[in-house]
Amino acid sequence: MSDRPLEVTGVIHDIGYRGYDGPREGTRALVLSLYATGVRHAFGLGRSGRSKVLPFLLLGLGVLPAVIVVGVVTMIGLESLPVSYAAYLSQIQMLVTLFAAAQAPVLFSRDLRHRSIVLYLARPLSSTLFALTRWASLATAILVFTLTPTIILYLGGLLAGLDTGAETPVFLRSVALQVLLAAVLAGITGLISAWALRRGFAVVASIVVLIVVSGVVLIVQGIADFEGIETVGEVAGLFSPWTLHNGLAEAWEAGGRATIALTGAWPIAYLATAVVIWAVCLALLVRRFVKVGSK
Amino acid sequence: MASEGRVIETSALTMRFGEIEALTALNITVGAGVTGLVGANGAGKSTLIKILLGLLEPTSGQATVLGHDITTQSAEIRQLVGYMPEHECLPPDVSASDFVVHMGRMSGLPATVARERAADILRHVGLDEERYRQMGGYSTGMKQRAKLAQALVHDPRLVFLDEPTNGLDPAARVDMLHLVQRIGRDFGIAVLVTSHLLGELEKVSDHVIVLDGGRLLRSSATADFTQRTGGLLVEVLGGDAERDRLGESLARAGLSCRPRGSLVAIDPPPAHLAVHDLVRDAAADLGLGLVRIQPDQAHLEDVFLTEGAARV
Repeated sequence: MSDRPLEVTGVIHDIGYRGYDGPREGTRALVLSLYATGVRHAFGLGRSGRSKVLPFLLLGLGVLPAVIVVGVVTMIGLESLPVSYAAYLSQIQMLVTLFAAAQAPVLFSRDLRHRSIVLYLARPLSSTLFALTRWASLATAILVFTLTPTIILYLGGLLAGLDTGAETPVFLRSVALQVLLAAVLAGITGLISAWALRRGFAVVASIVVLIVVSGVVLIVQGIADFEGIETVGEVAGLFSPWTLHNGLAEAWEAGGRATIALTGAWPIAYLATAVVIWAVCLALLVRRFVKVGSK
Repeated sequence: MASEGRVIETSALTMRFGEIEALTALNITVGAGVTGLVGANGAGKSTLIKILLGLLEPTSGQATVLGHDITTQSAEIRQLVGYMPEHECLPPDVSASDFVVHMGRMSGLPATVARERAADILRHVGLDEERYRQMGGYSTGMKQRAKLAQALVHDPRLVFLDEPTNGLDPAARVDMLHLVQRIGRDFGIAVLVTSHLLGELEKVSDHVIVLDGGRLLRSSATADFTQRTGGLLVEVLGGDAERDRLGESLARAGLSCRPRGSLVAIDPPPAHLAVHDLVRDAAADLGLGLVRIQPDQAHLEDVFLTEGAARV
């Protein structure tokens, strides 16, 4: 400090330790900060360059067809979108699932595997709030992933001269269903990642649960449709978040198409199932993190 | 604050994991400055810290940290304390700089303050240019520094350091101990630091608490542990043969003594005996070259030998 020769330049002077007496933020701000960091990390932002590749590659692949559709509508001058919102989403189902499966471990396995969870739990936020905030980050990231092409379709369609009055309600219904889908997907993939710990296991398990099961459900529905036993098809649809989404999208005219048309009270049953899956996943996630905290 | 000067206080704190009793009716008081928590692996050090952080619920007993009750006010406690765990706890794919800022935010610092303090504290712990690199590529020493930085970024009133010198080479160990000392003395943050290496804590802590099998073995100022015993250590030129000749001669003169390494350790002599003269004369008579006579000092290790043995 003062006893150092003055002619020495470029020295960082040690001004000693400075404390902090200013205000500290409450729970709400902590949750918001954790949430925002989580959403950023899900897209690889604020992490290594390599970790940005996969999410943005998938997002690019998910958006590209939407841009092409808009281009076609503009050039040919169609009266409606050839692939509407929910139908488009079910076309890029594989990309959305891959994104959820690959990015859930970033938010749920990383802290547990590298045990940085201990550093979070030694801070004011409770383990319950931590788990819920992580889920919210992942659900938001998935929603951003699905909403981006949907908004491109919607705005592009309107600019190409589609009827606003006809498109807007369909668009809004699809957005509502996407919120539900993101909530359920984040719950399922988050729970798998929080248990699997290793990223590879988590990704594979998520893909099995979401893509393979969904494939099996579609086969069952196809057979049921062919044989004319609709109830089997309707029941089968309950077992995959994608068939839940597609079934509801068709029933509620969100611009979707499903193998099986839902009749009677089935849409309500589908909605209830989705909500129950979401709630159970969330409860198990919270339980998992509370348990980790006391280890 | 409820009781100034008393940072941690426990009464009859007991923790049972099934059949195993990790802590048994522990009554300890920790004040300002650096307090060493010593014990073999499995003595209950980490368990105690986790209970004080509110991460574990004790089976019975009470404790307060900075005047807050651990069972009812653990969120308040976690706002005021920092914790550096023993094990690895750093995500490999973020930089220390980003991580420490994020952890500061998680402790309630506003965004700009978190950035400033993270830069400050990383400099204090000695992470310079490396702070912008991802932590996956850090050496053990750098990781320990990053772990320490995240524990200090929010300017806590008390910091728990669990085995901060673990896995460090001798030079890095000295650096880390020096840092621990600075935190307690210059930064004005109370420190509870654990180690299974007693010699380390002897150098940096003002107060030492010794745990053995979940029980309190002893708690007192470091100076009390390392006071002079009243005995002497004598060194003569030559090898074991010369040492033994001196020892035998001193024994004949009525002193009780034993070999310790290359030295002769003399037990505290009766007060009237001029023991220094006696040693000088004995060496002169035997024709041995006297190198030094120094007061014998107790070490923390002795606590385990004497008090630990007395309990069994």
